Parts: sequence; structure tokens; C-alpha cells
Amino acid sequence: MARFSPGPVRRYRWKELGLFIIPFMILVLEMIQLPIAQYYQSKIQTNQLSIPFSTALLPSFRDLIPVFGLIAALVGMNILLSFFFSRSDQILLPLAGLMSGVGVLMALRLGPDVGDPILGIRQLVWVLLGLLICIATISGLRNLNWLQRYKYTWASLGILLVGLTIFNALRVKNLDSPTHDQLNFGPLKLQPSELLKIFIVIFFAAYLSENRDVLAEGNFRLGPLRLPPLRQLGPIMLMLAISLLLFLVIRELGLALLIYGIFLSMMYLGSGKLSYVIGGLLIFAALGFIGFKLFGYVQARFAAVTIDVVNWQNWTPAIQQFVRGPAFQIVQGVIALSSGGIIGAGFGLGHTGTFVPVAQSDMIFTALGEELGLTGLFAIIGIYLLIIYRGYRIAIEASNGFDQLLAAGLTSIFAIQALIIVAGNMKFLPLTGLPLPFLSYGGSSIIANYIIIGILLRISHNTAMERAGLA
Amino acid sequence: MTLDVFLLILRLLLIVLLYLFLMQVVIAITRDLRKTAAVSSDVGSHVPPIVGHLIVVDSGPSNTLPGTSFDLQPQTTIGRGPTNTIQLTDTFISGEHTRLWFRNGAWYVQDAGSTNGTFVNNQPARDPLAARPGDIIQVGFIRFKLAQ
Repeated sequence: MARFSPGPVRRYRWKELGLFIIPFMILVLEMIQLPIAQYYQSKIQTNQLSIPFSTALLPSFRDLIPVFGLIAALVGMNILLSFFFSRSDQILLPLAGLMSGVGVLMALRLGPDVGDPILGIRQLVWVLLGLLICIATISGLRNLNWLQRYKYTWASLGILLVGLTIFNALRVKNLDSPTHDQLNFGPLKLQPSELLKIFIVIFFAAYLSENRDVLAEGNFRLGPLRLPPLRQLGPIMLMLAISLLLFLVIRELGLALLIYGIFLSMMYLGSGKLSYVIGGLLIFAALGFIGFKLFGYVQARFAAVTIDVVNWQNWTPAIQQFVRGPAFQIVQGVIALSSGGIIGAGFGLGHTGTFVPVAQSDMIFTALGEELGLTGLFAIIGIYLLIIYRGYRIAIEASNGFDQLLAAGLTSIFAIQALIIVAGNMKFLPLTGLPLPFLSYGGSSIIANYIIIGILLRISHNTAMERAGLA
Repeated sequence: MTLDVFLLILRLLLIVLLYLFLMQVVIAITRDLRKTAAVSSDVGSHVPPIVGHLIVVDSGPSNTLPGTSFDLQPQTTIGRGPTNTIQLTDTFISGEHTRLWFRNGAWYVQDAGSTNGTFVNNQPARDPLAARPGDIIQVGFIRFKLAQ
């Protein structure tokens, strides 16, 4: 009996399981800390100093159920992937799992402060749903050519979503409310922009991979710049017009920035020509300047960047007025970040939820900054970098042009979105209403992120299967 | 032990765990990279093996001569574009026309989204089709015979 099947045991995703161990420890640790921290804060308010520690303060098993649910779901993913898609990437899921776990814990922790006690449970349900959709995406996309073949379908679905959003925005009329871009279907609040970005990337990837050669030649000259022929440029310009429309009509500065960023990076990846990127940036600067001159809200967002929070004693009355009004959120966020310091106040021990508006979604980075400190933020940015690295690596290894562009484009969504919102929270860029991938509260965002993870896992699985067939 | 000391320990433990996790991932990635580097230096030291041939049977409207033989690598692409393994200058061939790959001793042929299609024994190959030596593979209007 020398022959025994090495199959299931050797093909099991041990690496992924091993990488899950520390994230699980982190999640359990935080969950244990949360009720103790709440108890501590309630005691501090009654001016009671040096509270003794007793084991009675430790939460019971029942209190840890939310985190155990998430851990069970992630282990379930590991087992399912091992059986059906054992060759897909093993590093992506632990990274994404830790991030969404921290997101759930932050929602659990911020929920009572922002006046929504079941916020955390809802976020947990969204993450579980997201994991299900991730599995559905991997098994559903057996053949990625299907995405490529129906590229105009995806483009028209994207246009439909934009139409719905604009229609809704015109109906709501109050463009200053933070939720004017949501669609309400009964109890569900959908953010169509989250799906829109995926459709746009699929369309760009299909379109660019087909017209790669023509675009790389660039035989339409405009001064020193060589542009692709107009026939190939048409559909791309259409997608750009959409992003401009979002910018002009429904004041979605963040989404317009994101779509334009995706467009530039995919043009560069598809053609390898720096001149397109430089040309695109020049056009962007021109459009941005026009937008700045035309719209008060853009000017207000830029003005907020120039506020000097450190020298708050020297503020003129005009600035003080401005800080109480349009720039309130960003200034409060910077104060939260600074109060976190190097190692932070500790999970559950900050106050961001009570003094920064929308701390659970747009400003989650400041909440994390206050409670985990600079070291925690560095770790979070490090995890983002590793997710992005993994995504681009999957793109490099993919076997055909469409898969490569698709993986790179989807990864660019994470990169650009995290960059825009983190820089916005830290007062480097104008603050925009994009969610931070995996960490912000929000169903649409979680689902969209897990669709992206699903597609990336599928691409890596297909690549590995083709490689293995050769060996 | 007072409560704030306990909370401080938990806080420091969290930071340690976060960075341990980052380190673990980086180690896993480095190991992965070394493995791929070893494999690709293995592959890079010699040219991809030639595992088959395509022989032109009917050149259709193109100026390729019947009887011309093209070498097939384990992963071969046919098309007009400069990135293809086999480049054919025929107006009825798309930029990226056909993909062929060799897996587990069998050839698979799939159309890469061309205008004029790919056929294996007159069957359209929009989804991967298996092919054996002797089969006729039609790329656009050029017909090839698959040979070992």
C-alpha cells in the first residue's frame, strides 16, 4: 500500500488557515476588551480613580458570540475554498478578513455613541452576506470571458445606475445631506456608486484589452501629445463624461475622483504610455480648476484643507465661523487623530463617536486613529498595502490581457479609494464621502469589496490551474 | 492590579499582534516569491519547449503557403498583434484571435474574442474545445492541421 492519496490533505489551504490565527486572536482580544472598556469609562465619569481589576469583569462566552460567528464564517470560507478552489490565492482572505473584522468591532463599539445600538450587528450581517457573495462570485464566474464578451451590458448597467442616482438626487433636491446618493428600496439603503465602479473596471478592462494595439500606437496627434484614434477614444470618453456628470449634478467629488483615477491607471496599464497619463492629468487639472471656480462646495472643501488646526488661537472670526460650519467634520477629525497619539487611547476608550460627525463611515479612519494610535494606523495602512500588492501580483501572473487588466483595475479601486479617503480624513486632500474599504460601516461597500475579492480569487485560481496543467 | 494597567496591557498586546500578523504575511509572501523565482529561473534558462505544430492545410485568402509549419509552445496565442506567439498578417485575423494550451496531454483551443471565429473540426470554439493531433483548426479563414 505505497500509494495513498495526497489529495485533500496536501491541497488543503494550510497557509491560509495559519494566517488566520493571529487575526482571530486580535478579534477575540478586542471583543474581550470592549465591555471592560465600557465599564471603565462609566466609572471614570463618576470620578472614581484606581478601579481594581477582577476576573468578574471579563465577558462571558455569550458576549463573544458576534466575533465567534465571524470566525466560524471565515473558517468555513477556508474549508469551502480548500475543497473547490484550492489553488486560489491564500493571502488575500486573511487580510480582508482581519480588516472587515476590525470594521465589525468598530461598528459594535461606535454604535451606541452614534445613536444606533445595533449598528455592529448589522455590519456583522453584511460581512457574512459579503462572504457568501464572495463564494457565489468565485463559483459563478467559471469563465471570465463571459465578463469580457458582454462588456457593453456592464457599461449600460453602469449608466443605468448613474441615471438612477441622478434621478434620485433630483427628486431629493437636498444635495447637502450626506445620504443624497443613496437609493432606498424599502428597508434597504443602497449606494449604487459601489457597484458602478466594478462595472466601469470590467468595461475598461474588456475594452482596453481588445484595443490594446491600437491604443499603444496612438496615431492621432494633438500638439506634442499622441492620442489614440477617435473611434477607439469614444466609449472611453463616454465613461469619463459619466464621472463628470456625477461631479456636476450630484456633487459626488469623491466618486468622480475615483473613476478618473481608475481611468488613468488602467489607460497606463493597458497602453504603457506615460503621455496618456500626463495628458489625462492636465485635462484633470483644467476640469478641476473650472469646477473650483464654478462650485461653492468645491471651494469650501479646498478651503478646509488650508485651515491650520495647530494654531487655533490665531483663528480669525471668519475662520472660526467656517470651522463651526462646513469644515466642522474635518477639524473634529484632526483633533481626534491628534488625541490618539502614538499608541492610542485603547479600543473602546476613545470619544470619536460622540464628537466627529459620521464617525462610523466616512470618518472611521479618525476613530481608528484615536483608539489605536499612530502605530495602529501604520498597521492598517500596511494591511492595505499588502492587499494591493497581492492584487497586482495576481494581475502580473494572469495569463491573458483581459484578466490582467481586470485584476489590476479592481486592485486599483482599493488603492485609490483608500488613498482618497485616508488623505481626506487627514486633511491632505478635500474630504469626500467615500467609504474606507472593509472598515467603514455600509452594506453596499462591504458587498462590493467582497465581489472584488471574489473576482481576484477566481483569477488567481484560473491562472494556477493553467500553470498546473503545464507541469 | 488596577483596571487601567490591565487595559494598557491589552492595548500593547493588540499592537504586538497586529505587527506579528504583518510580519507573518510578509514572510509568507517572501517565501512565495522565492518559489516563483526558482521556477521562473528554471523556465528562463531554456526556451519554452515545443510541444506540437500547426501545419497550414488551406491558406484561404491569405498569402501563407500551404504546408508551412508553426511551432506550438505549451501556451500559444495566434493573432495579428505583435504580442502573439504566432503572428499572422491576414486581414481576416483579429489582433488576438486564438489561444491554444496543452494540459494533461491534451490540446485545448479557445477563441480569444475574434471577429471571424475559431473552429475545431468546424465546431465554433467560443468556449475551450479539446483537440487531438490530426484535428483541423480553422483560424479566421486559414485552416491548420494539428500535429505532434
